Amino acid sequence: MSNRELSATTVKSAAKKALLGLSPAVESLVAAVVGLILGAIIMWISGFDPLAAYAALLKGGFASTYALATAGARAAPLLLTGLTFAICVRAGMFNIGAEGQLYMGALAAVTVAYFVLPPALHVIVGILFGMAAGALWSLIPVLLRVTRGVNEVISTIMFNWISHFLAFYLVARVLVDPLVSSRTIRVPITARFPILIRGTDLSYGIFAAVAFAIVVYILLWHTATGYEVRAAGFNPRAARYGGIKSKRTMVLAFVLGGMGAGLAGATMSMGTPPSYAVLGGLSQIANLGFNGMAVAMVGRNHPIGMLFSALLFGGLAAGARQMQMTAGVPTDMVRIVQGIIVIAMAVPELTRMFRIFRLRWPRILGRRAES
Amino acid sequence: MSWNSLVNILFIALHAMVPITLTAVGEVIGETAGLFNIGLEGILLLSAFTGVIGAEHAGPVVGLLVGMGTGALVGLIFSVISTYWKGSQMITGIGINLFAAGMVAYGLIVLGQPGFRLLASENRLTPIRTPAGGLSPIIIIAVIVPFIAYWFLKRTRAGLILKATGEAPEAADVAGINVNRVRLLATTVGGALAGLAGAYMSVSWIGSITKGLSAGRGFISLAVVVFSGLNPILALVGGFIYGIFQSLAIWIKNTPGITFLPWQVFDMLPYIVTLLVVSGVIGRVRFPKALGQPYKRE
Amino acid sequence: MVQEHVSQREGSSGGLFLGAYGISKTYSDGTQALKRVDLEIRHGEIVGLLGENGAGKTTLTKILSGLLPPTEGRVESPRGSVRFANPREAMKFGIGMVHQHFALVGPFTATENVALSHERPFTPIRLGKTRERLEALMAESGLHVPLDVPIEKLAVGEQQRVEILKVMSRDVDLLILDEPTSVLTPLEVDELFDLLRRLRAQDKSIILITHKLKEVQSITDRIVVLRHGELVGDVRTAEATTERLARLMVGQALDSTADAVELRDEELPIRRGREDAGATGEVVLHVQNLVSRGNTGEIAVDGITFDVHAGEIFGIAGVEGNGQSELVECLTGLRVPTEGEATIKGTDILGKDPREIYRLGVAHIPEDRWEVGLVLPFTLAENAILGIHRRKQFRRAHLPIIQWSNVRKHVEELMERFEIQAAGTNSPAKSLSGGNQQKLIVGRELAKDPAVIVASQPTRGLDVASAKYIRDLLVDMRNRQRAVLLVSADLDEVLARCDRVAIMYEGKFMTVCRPADLDRETVGMLMGGVTSKEVCVEQP
Repeated sequence: MSNRELSATTVKSAAKKALLGLSPAVESLVAAVVGLILGAIIMWISGFDPLAAYAALLKGGFASTYALATAGARAAPLLLTGLTFAICVRAGMFNIGAEGQLYMGALAAVTVAYFVLPPALHVIVGILFGMAAGALWSLIPVLLRVTRGVNEVISTIMFNWISHFLAFYLVARVLVDPLVSSRTIRVPITARFPILIRGTDLSYGIFAAVAFAIVVYILLWHTATGYEVRAAGFNPRAARYGGIKSKRTMVLAFVLGGMGAGLAGATMSMGTPPSYAVLGGLSQIANLGFNGMAVAMVGRNHPIGMLFSALLFGGLAAGARQMQMTAGVPTDMVRIVQGIIVIAMAVPELTRMFRIFRLRWPRILGRRAES
Repeated sequence: MSWNSLVNILFIALHAMVPITLTAVGEVIGETAGLFNIGLEGILLLSAFTGVIGAEHAGPVVGLLVGMGTGALVGLIFSVISTYWKGSQMITGIGINLFAAGMVAYGLIVLGQPGFRLLASENRLTPIRTPAGGLSPIIIIAVIVPFIAYWFLKRTRAGLILKATGEAPEAADVAGINVNRVRLLATTVGGALAGLAGAYMSVSWIGSITKGLSAGRGFISLAVVVFSGLNPILALVGGFIYGIFQSLAIWIKNTPGITFLPWQVFDMLPYIVTLLVVSGVIGRVRFPKALGQPYKRE
Repeated sequence: MVQEHVSQREGSSGGLFLGAYGISKTYSDGTQALKRVDLEIRHGEIVGLLGENGAGKTTLTKILSGLLPPTEGRVESPRGSVRFANPREAMKFGIGMVHQHFALVGPFTATENVALSHERPFTPIRLGKTRERLEALMAESGLHVPLDVPIEKLAVGEQQRVEILKVMSRDVDLLILDEPTSVLTPLEVDELFDLLRRLRAQDKSIILITHKLKEVQSITDRIVVLRHGELVGDVRTAEATTERLARLMVGQALDSTADAVELRDEELPIRRGREDAGATGEVVLHVQNLVSRGNTGEIAVDGITFDVHAGEIFGIAGVEGNGQSELVECLTGLRVPTEGEATIKGTDILGKDPREIYRLGVAHIPEDRWEVGLVLPFTLAENAILGIHRRKQFRRAHLPIIQWSNVRKHVEELMERFEIQAAGTNSPAKSLSGGNQQKLIVGRELAKDPAVIVASQPTRGLDVASAKYIRDLLVDMRNRQRAVLLVSADLDEVLARCDRVAIMYEGKFMTVCRPADLDRETVGMLMGGVTSKEVCVEQP
């Protein structure tokens, strides 16, 4: 082979290797494109102009500092609830309960209004309350799973609904602002996340979210306990052979995930101007948990990937309002697109998720052999 | 409590039972074949919506059929992704729920009435008149279907095939059964039943569609499936128990004088009960060994 | 590589039943399982299909039985070309296959399992009729099974009989059996072979897939040998010697194949030197009256007592499924026994966590390398520290953070020392071949410098070179005064390498002996549960 041919083939094989390494990202990209195309079709059928809609979406989500700041503000809680889901997936389970864990975290954070503390401490206490509430709310489903084998999908969904009504009650009766009955008491100024960029609602909460993501990354990939969580998530039997107690790892993962969702709730009530409270009807915090799952999937359940996918979904949420104003398309279109992206992601996702259900029941017949 | 109230409670319970029972029986069929469809919630919502549209254009029966068709279609998509494309059932189900929630909200806005749409009474399914009140004819269907399903699963060879694909798809394959096709059929039928359940809610029972109409009923059906141990008749029983609870909750909410508990507690009740059922029953129930896994031939 | 053929064929009365020509099969992941294989089957003959794991035997028969399509090649019968789209069509043609992992539905009874492969979908089940047919078939063939018990509750041998009945109930002309004897006692093997001879007398054809040389020589008329997907030999059984077959199977003369009967001289000094005692070192592992239940609740280990000394290899032989797995699990922290004691150098190990047991100096090479020994999606580096991931050597300073560079160094050492071939320390473990995966596990365990090594089926499913390599490693450990417990269903492996051998049957040790004191016939009987007065009964 001539030198030129040799270098050509090496470049080609290097490119192929790079593409293969990036293939998870490519898969996510393809799913996103599929979602956008199908969304465009639906819009067109309903009489809207898809191109105008997407242009407005881009503009409102990414095209200015204000847009990016809004996108970031929307992304922060999504990153956190996404981490809730992703951590538990890595541990071999499906935690659908970020929604409810977030509600509890948001409400717990509001209770800091009941005492007085210096500013920095007040914020930290609020964060701790939020994380604790989220962790507690995720504890029961995982305990049910490890003690009685209760499917955590069903139990976390039930807890979502229970917290939905519990939150209604707390907002309307217990934590209600005596002067403004449509919301809870306000989080005092000393406990609020300062605004990062003036004129936007991007608060320091974004730092909390990114910091949590980094901590999760370090925990899962660079500590022995995180190693145990991931090993047990892939293969509980091998983990046991390696001296890992998968019940312990499952509980740890769920609690950590719950902390993430609780933190998300805290950033919402402590970081959302102008009200800095939880509104009746939970309108501000609804669906953050569910959308977080889409963020996790598109980010391949990895904190680094999820930084990007959270920004993407945050941008979509921010742009949705612009889309409604300019092109008249209801904001729910974004949810439609998200749903389609998730379904599209289901297919290549198989190789990751496949193992999760695999080892649940003892194998009685037959044995594996290579032949 | 007067006799009237008792009958009233019973009637509401029967109505509330229908969506749960139908969806649960459909899912029993699907899970027997090895597919776990968590997107039932989305199917309920979507078919409630399409059912209303169908009923507005061509009357209640068409509305119900459109709803069934919607459910069957979504079930079909779900099973194609899960079987032929070897996709993750859990993720697909979650995606269906997200999509449905967005689609219904979007659709309602596009059709002119954001969040809520009332179905004109002439487009609703005529209830059966009894001396004590009106009963939806679908209740009768909801009672009969479980028995048909039971006979089908236990006494026909098709039922045997279905169980085989769920338990040991390799064995079924060797016996010449097209595993993917069987699963496809099973989930499409399951989807159709859930579609009927959703359309029933909007066209027959409540008479309107809101963007949150399903209210977790899809997930409650999943819990009832667990409770039933994949026995359709027990799914009927579970659905009825749920109906009683929901009916009691409504009655308590509407009866003056019972104020010692906030109303939210009663709304929570179905979900708490579901949780207790699921926690208490596990261990007795045996699920098909291949549930939740796609089948790959070699 | 020379193909050995025999020009004329005797011993089969019939004409051609089926001919497969130029069969190639490449899987979707690129592996080429078969390369232009020709195979002719005549009526009334028993053909042995011989080869090691991975030679392509199962693939070829799956193609013949309709489960897989060939990538190239054609299948012909005297009636013309045939192509099977699915197993059902092959069945209609008269080909039935009894798989190695039975294609049975667990909670179904034998009758229901057979019914599954008959009738049309929407008919009501006529279990009664199926039952009658089965009973007639059982009488005719001499195979008996309980018909109304869910088959997951039956013993493995019975399940296999159900599988055979199921296939035979479809009136087959060609019966393919994939490694049927791996789960049978010698007595059951004889019964099976009698049945096969009866079928041959009825002019049926049989393909018997096996990797056991003695077996294939005892029952077949003709032996076809595959190696790495290619046809390397098609010989008449009467004219084939064990050595020739072994050579065809592995392609070179090795000191010991998995099944060779003759042992070279290098092996013997190991045995000769230890003939005096076999148990001179101190007792490292002591087991007393161990009783344990299995996964289905029945007693699997039924009162086992033995010791393993430093500097010896203690072998446990026996057909798989007689309690060996459960015994190993009890000793390695994966199962809690109901009674008994076990100690390592005096410290109690029963009911303890695996990691505690490892800390006592135990290494465990598990029998299931995919489901237990490795986390397949993990990289080599990540797998290399499974079980020792909390050790200080892998930690960064005093922080609870893993120092991956140390881990990588460790893996690289393992790769060099144990000749593990992989693309890099970051390749996922599932990308390795079976032999390299096992070497990774063995390397990981031996690098712990253990005092006791528990090796369960360590060479199962491996290519000959890797198997020999691992066996030599175990002997090396023993020569360095470690205690080795070797559990293996491969009788020759156990007899050749162990200082003392126990034969396990139905949860008990039938005997504990030196291999020199045992002959194969006695071993066969013991494995089948038959006690013999002449067998040595050495005190364990």
